[in-house]
Amino acid sequence: MEVKAFLGGINVPHYKSFSEKQEIKEIKLPQQIIIPLSQHIGAPCQPLVREGDRVKAGQKIGDSDSFVSAPVHASLSGTVSSIEDKKIHSGEKVQCIVIDVDKKQESIEYADNDLEKVSKEDIVKAVKEAGIVGMGGAAFPTAVKIQPPPDKPVDALILNGCECEPYLTCDHRIMLEKAEELLQGVKLLQKVLDVKKAYICIEDNKMDAISELSEKNDDPGIVIMKTPTKYPQGAEKQLIKATLDREVPPGGLPFDVGALVQNVGTAVAVYEAVKYNKPLLERVVTVTGQNIAEPGNIMVKIGTPLEHLLNECGGIKEEPAKVVMGGPMTGVAQEDLEVPVVKAITGITVLPPAMAFGELEYMECVRCGKCVEDCPMLLYPNQISIYGEAGMYEQAEKWNTMDCIECGICAYVCPAQRPIVKFVQQAKPQIQNLQNSRNNT
Amino acid sequence: MNDKKKLVVSSAPHLRDKGTVGNAMRDVFIALIPVSLVSIYFFHWYAAITIGVCLLTAVLTEVLFRKMLKKEPTLHDWSALLTGLFVALLFPATTPWWKAAIATFIAVGIAKELMGGLGRNRFNPALFGRVALIILAPLISFIDNQFAALYINLGTVDVMTQATPLAMLHQGMEMPGYGELFFAFPGGALGETSPFFLLIGAAYLFYKGHIGWRIPVSILGTVVVLTLLLGENPLHHLLVGSLALGAFFMATDWVTSPFTNRGKVIFGIAIGALVILFRVGLAPTEGVAFGILIMNGFVPMIENATTRYQFGRVRKAVAVTSGEE
Ligand code: SF4
Ligand code: SF4
Repeated sequence: MEVKAFLGGINVPHYKSFSEKQEIKEIKLPQQIIIPLSQHIGAPCQPLVREGDRVKAGQKIGDSDSFVSAPVHASLSGTVSSIEDKKIHSGEKVQCIVIDVDKKQESIEYADNDLEKVSKEDIVKAVKEAGIVGMGGAAFPTAVKIQPPPDKPVDALILNGCECEPYLTCDHRIMLEKAEELLQGVKLLQKVLDVKKAYICIEDNKMDAISELSEKNDDPGIVIMKTPTKYPQGAEKQLIKATLDREVPPGGLPFDVGALVQNVGTAVAVYEAVKYNKPLLERVVTVTGQNIAEPGNIMVKIGTPLEHLLNECGGIKEEPAKVVMGGPMTGVAQEDLEVPVVKAITGITVLPPAMAFGELEYMECVRCGKCVEDCPMLLYPNQISIYGEAGMYEQAEKWNTMDCIECGICAYVCPAQRPIVKFVQQAKPQIQNLQNSRNNT
Repeated sequence: MNDKKKLVVSSAPHLRDKGTVGNAMRDVFIALIPVSLVSIYFFHWYAAITIGVCLLTAVLTEVLFRKMLKKEPTLHDWSALLTGLFVALLFPATTPWWKAAIATFIAVGIAKELMGGLGRNRFNPALFGRVALIILAPLISFIDNQFAALYINLGTVDVMTQATPLAMLHQGMEMPGYGELFFAFPGGALGETSPFFLLIGAAYLFYKGHIGWRIPVSILGTVVVLTLLLGENPLHHLLVGSLALGAFFMATDWVTSPFTNRGKVIFGIAIGALVILFRVGLAPTEGVAFGILIMNGFVPMIENATTRYQFGRVRKAVAVTSGEE
């Protein structure tokens, strides 16, 4: 089945060819792993181990009592060498458990459950225990997401396989190589949510994945959907609009329109958690870009230092480079390579010197209207940028800055090179403060 | 980890479209070259000198004003040169060079730089400079008398002394053929000599994505409808005067036109109506410059009235299940 496009959005160069044909592969284990205790939206975990403790691969080493949280696990066996605050890819400092990795690996025991017999409660419990979070980049705890509030029933499950960010191919490879697991995962999600219809949405630049899944799928409740290739097709609200023709209201959640979106990688993780009680201790990461020697799709242990991963892919070719955690439209450029790969990292994009620009010099808005034309949230990025730059946050709020999904399109098209997304990111916490103080009075 | 890698950081996105303001302005400049050449073909040195003087004045004025305002000159954004060329194209070849220079000075210095620079100017600088000279006419004619000696005599080019097509239209004279008016006809300002070559330039800008269809189509459409209602010949009105230059190049100026889509249409219709009001109602004035400038002033109001709803407010989303939310 085909879906319509949403309003706004643009065609960006794909740059997928570096890694789209590369099969998922393993790399040599790192000597040390760094497991941040907060890899998700919600309350950070408390450590369950102490310095000097020995841990097995798959052992839970951090957890929290909060409902919105996700436990973390040791991805390899070894000795806890320290528990300390370390910088992660977002630039924040987070408490991390550092583990010296053993030569000989030792793992926890895995189960082999009968999927016919699992109950809804079993699924929720397994997902929660496995520490699964949204693996498309959102990092929202999946166990929370699959328990929608009773007054907001979900009638449509959308599996996001659009992968609209340029360069990235991890979801593409997962759909090709793990089609069976994905379909099983979808069925489990349908079961836990009581949803009859599931849609797997894939952009039409991945026809091989579309035919692979159509072939393997024998369930009439699962529909494989072909979406136009357009950025940001994979953004949650845009995808719901395109697939179901429902618009999530400003400030609202997919629940509000009876929809739920999961990344395809998350569905595979759900399958593994329910079937084997396997925690989320590894994920597929696309290491790509013009400036990495051997691009590929790598099965990476959570906590692997970025530098180890890049070295295993042949290293950076030319400096100065730009190393982006995530795709180039929304990812974060890294200052150093000691940060670990965490659960929500989809890819590492290594850009060559010619593309590695720093903060650009920008001009006044020349009111060309290009950003207005292309904003998929139908906002006025020009106004947001002007008021954001001037620190006029009440005005910025009136122009709906809080609805911005930070897709980066406005800054991409702006001929005045205005760093609109940066202004948005600066304005949002300020506006939040304004709103909080208003609510308190 | 001892050899620190050289890494560059910046805020997202890490890809950017190739288009910059400088490239866009340069493209508009390129799009105006064909009509400029036609004017030089007809008016020889008179046109060439007017254009040259305006370009030079524009550059000098920008440098001067930005120095005064303690800002870096931004000649690389091509906006000064473009304004200079626009001013030149708005004058007939008979204009003394110093008048064109004063208009350019006002355009770049006052209408652009003193208003806060490119992006902050409310009015189209070139039109502002051109109209300022009309309004300052008494002063100008005083200077004219004082500096009569400054005139350069480049010999006569006889096409320069004939009536402009717009004047012919007003006086009910017999008009030149449509083909001639469309392709190339010497009369009026430099930029009025060839709607055909202006259209070629406009097509290039459309292809490059610098201008949209909404403003030109609503201006020209309004002109056609109103002239038909008033019993005038719409083709003559489309082909004479600076309508083509105004509709495709000046009303579409990014900075001084609305950024909302519906706003662009309203803006265009209003300009079309003003042009006809001036041309037919207040004959014999050329209403294009006044029409656009007047509407420039209304842009913020138009924008406020035509903002769209953000995503999610357009239609009430329907929850298929309970239906209440
Ligand atoms: S980053 Fe925000 S404002 Fe810019 S185009 Fe995307 S949603 Fe619109
Ligand atoms: S794209 Fe840039 S210059 Fe154009 S309106 Fe938006 S912010 Fe202004």
